[in-house]
Amino acid sequence: MSHLIKLEGLTIGYEKKGLLQTTDIAIERGQFWGILGPNGSGKSTLLKTILSLIPPVEGNIVSENGAVFGYVPQHEKFDAIYPISVFELVSMGRYSRVPPGKRLTTDDRAVIEDSLDKVGVAHLCGRTFRSLSGGEKQRSLLARAIAGEPDILVLDEPTAAVDIKGEAQIMSLVKSIKQESGLAVIMVSHFLNTISAFSDHIILIDKDNDIFQAGDKKEILNSETLNKFFGLNLDMEKVNEMQAIERLT
Amino acid sequence: MATFAEFINSYFLWRDPMIVGAVTGAVCGFLGVYVVLRRIIFVSAALTQISSFGVGLAFYLEAYSLGVFASLFDPFILSLLLTCLAAAFFALRKDFSRVSTEGVIAFGFLLASGAVVIIGDRITKGAHDIADILFGSAVVVEPADVLIIPLVALIVFITHIIFFKDFVFVSFDTETARLFKYPVRLLNTGLLITIAVVVAVATRALGALPVFGLLALPALSSLLITENLKLVFIFSVVIGILSATLGYFFSFILSLPTGASMTVCAAAFFLLASGWKGLSAG
Repeated sequence: MSHLIKLEGLTIGYEKKGLLQTTDIAIERGQFWGILGPNGSGKSTLLKTILSLIPPVEGNIVSENGAVFGYVPQHEKFDAIYPISVFELVSMGRYSRVPPGKRLTTDDRAVIEDSLDKVGVAHLCGRTFRSLSGGEKQRSLLARAIAGEPDILVLDEPTAAVDIKGEAQIMSLVKSIKQESGLAVIMVSHFLNTISAFSDHIILIDKDNDIFQAGDKKEILNSETLNKFFGLNLDMEKVNEMQAIERLT
Repeated sequence: MATFAEFINSYFLWRDPMIVGAVTGAVCGFLGVYVVLRRIIFVSAALTQISSFGVGLAFYLEAYSLGVFASLFDPFILSLLLTCLAAAFFALRKDFSRVSTEGVIAFGFLLASGAVVIIGDRITKGAHDIADILFGSAVVVEPADVLIIPLVALIVFITHIIFFKDFVFVSFDTETARLFKYPVRLLNTGLLITIAVVVAVATRALGALPVFGLLALPALSSLLITENLKLVFIFSVVIGILSATLGYFFSFILSLPTGASMTVCAAAFFLLASGWKGLSAG
């Protein structure tokens, strides 16, 4: 299997100040990596380092030549002053394949319309992004991410500000997009159940306690690791063929 | 008070300033949308003051015999140079140590404002010229301005048509633009430089107050009128043109200061847009 991204001897941090040393990881096509940790644990720093938005303090991130990222940031980061329509927003996802000074072609527009359809937001394309509900915003951002036909889909807390129904819709969309396109998914969340239900590989991160554990879900999600990481007596159980967390005490 | 017929008959007097005003209104209206959306209104205020300082400094240096360097101190060139340098500084510097970005912008605005008044006290042309730079005269524009301002506007519009998607993208979502390897710094600097060039040429012709007004108010008004980004740009251009031309017309008919009249007209459009927004929301 080909490696899309490799983290080699990586230390993440800001302005040359190291926060946390990571272990070497290779992310391959078809894998679903969940990054799990409490607030302020370094999840977003790791994600932004993987995306090359922040330079690593030490080590390298080696990406497959020409690998394209699709990115779903948290929707709160967008300034509501902009009257950007959903179609304009989703079009921006296609800009990974349209260099500066060039316009979208008819083919690009077809891919954008297809992305809107896939995620079920085609009926919203004339609405402004700022007027949408949390769930609709997140689905529009997902459509934007897949409009670039990415090799790696990166999601930053995609279910943080949506209700349970919205969360289920978004996660089911992510799952079907992954199965259909065979892309790799990297998702940050602080919801243990969401990560355990959908990912096959997990990164546990907590810079304050110098914890960085990465690997196959079965290796990572066991009582010993969970108890060490969360300080709670937890165990795994299967619900509808998906892993779920059971609190024992 | 002049009549409308007198105004029409005196077209040879107002034709050139009206052309300069309308073109400035159009290009400032367009660029103002970025100024408002990026929340850099006070950068444009600082740029207009720095441009005024450049014009004032050139007047001051005129008194000295500068030999071959004299052409460098032409009001247009000096104003353009200082405004573009300030724009590049604001575009490229993000981290000002312990001082906030707003604080640095305020510093630039206040230093330039204070310096232009001090220079006004020293130049032989006198306080009247400095008042024209700050608040706008535009009663008579120099013949060169009738060519320079439309030419600058044309170049700015062509640049913005070519890079429209890119300027909107880096303004709205810098992070994703960086992820997609867009030259974010270059595009941000380019955008601010186009604003600086327009500010420099328009401030010398119309004055700092109307240029600042035309950069802020038409865009603020059009954002109240429509929810469509492309229409925001179009309405802002139209309101910019109407503010400048009606401002000149009222200035002629009612013998008002021209720059102030243009600014008040732009403010009147903002009040109308606010009323329309209030009525449509209610």
